[in-house]
Amino acid sequence: MADLSLLGTAEAAARLSAAPQTARGFLGLDPVTQNAALLARELTRTGAQVLSADGVLLGYAPNSVQPRQGWVATTSADPAPLAALLDFLRTYRRCTSYVAEVPEGAPAVAALEACGFTGAGRLPGHVFHSGGYHDVLVYSATQEG
Amino acid sequence: MPFVTVRHFTEDDIPTRTALLRESRFQANLTDFAVVSADDALTANQRRTIEREHAVKRMFTLCGSGGGTVGFAWITSIDWPGQTCELSFGVLPECRGRYGAAAVAAAHAHIRAELNMRVVVNQVLEHNTMLVPAELLSEQRRVRCAYDSYTVGEWRTACYWTESEQDVARQREQAAQRRRAIADRIRTASASPLPS
Repeated sequence: MADLSLLGTAEAAARLSAAPQTARGFLGLDPVTQNAALLARELTRTGAQVLSADGVLLGYAPNSVQPRQGWVATTSADPAPLAALLDFLRTYRRCTSYVAEVPEGAPAVAALEACGFTGAGRLPGHVFHSGGYHDVLVYSATQEG
Repeated sequence: MPFVTVRHFTEDDIPTRTALLRESRFQANLTDFAVVSADDALTANQRRTIEREHAVKRMFTLCGSGGGTVGFAWITSIDWPGQTCELSFGVLPECRGRYGAAAVAAAHAHIRAELNMRVVVNQVLEHNTMLVPAELLSEQRRVRCAYDSYTVGEWRTACYWTESEQDVARQREQAAQRRRAIADRIRTASASPLPS
């Protein structure tokens, strides 16, 4: 199981800013159009936490109306860091279900599917970048709690 | 045209931009407020934009092919739902000749492609032909506003115009036509027999 390291908000924003293309769509953020200060503000607003595991950034934000559901994100196709995050959330946040929104073709898709997430839908033209509107894929997973 | 990239303006950029705000041609061509503002006030102003003014103002650093700073761009009067903003530039004196046009093009492209701005409002003081040639300024302006600004002891006339999606598409097509015409001339010249 990958070792997780919890990042402070400022460091999380700096790490996301340092990898703007990889982190596009991470918990709905966009480091290409949002500077580090705005990323930090958005992380605070959503109550999000960013963790690091072997250089991979992982994100979690609570669903305020369903406290046992977590909104998650990863910058990697490797399932091991994401599996560690899900285990951490189950253990320390009592999470039993998870939601992820990822840009089509993002590396995170492979990690999500390997961790048991299934496609729940497609949000057509949900985000704008690189001169056009792009679909966002919604994935979900549940665990026995 | 040299390659120019756009990145977020950061605290490390503040001293360079502050010096630019006080450069003589910048004062005359845009605004001279920096001459009567203290260093700490200018620093606080720019830091506030970085940290808190995201909804109403954004600043960008324009970088040359080696990553070095060639200038700055900033957008104001942002109407996010209306997808309009006003775009301003300041190119470092030593980079104006080489990077001026490319810097303007890169900033326009960035705010359209990444921030989804559809209509960009341009304002250039009429005497300022640093980045927009006088002929183009005269052709593009839709409004000529006398006594628009008072900079470095003189009243300045301003030219205003907007650039919509349709304008950008038309400019792209005109540029493509010019490239095709040049390519045709080169092909024709290459195919002609050499004079004996």
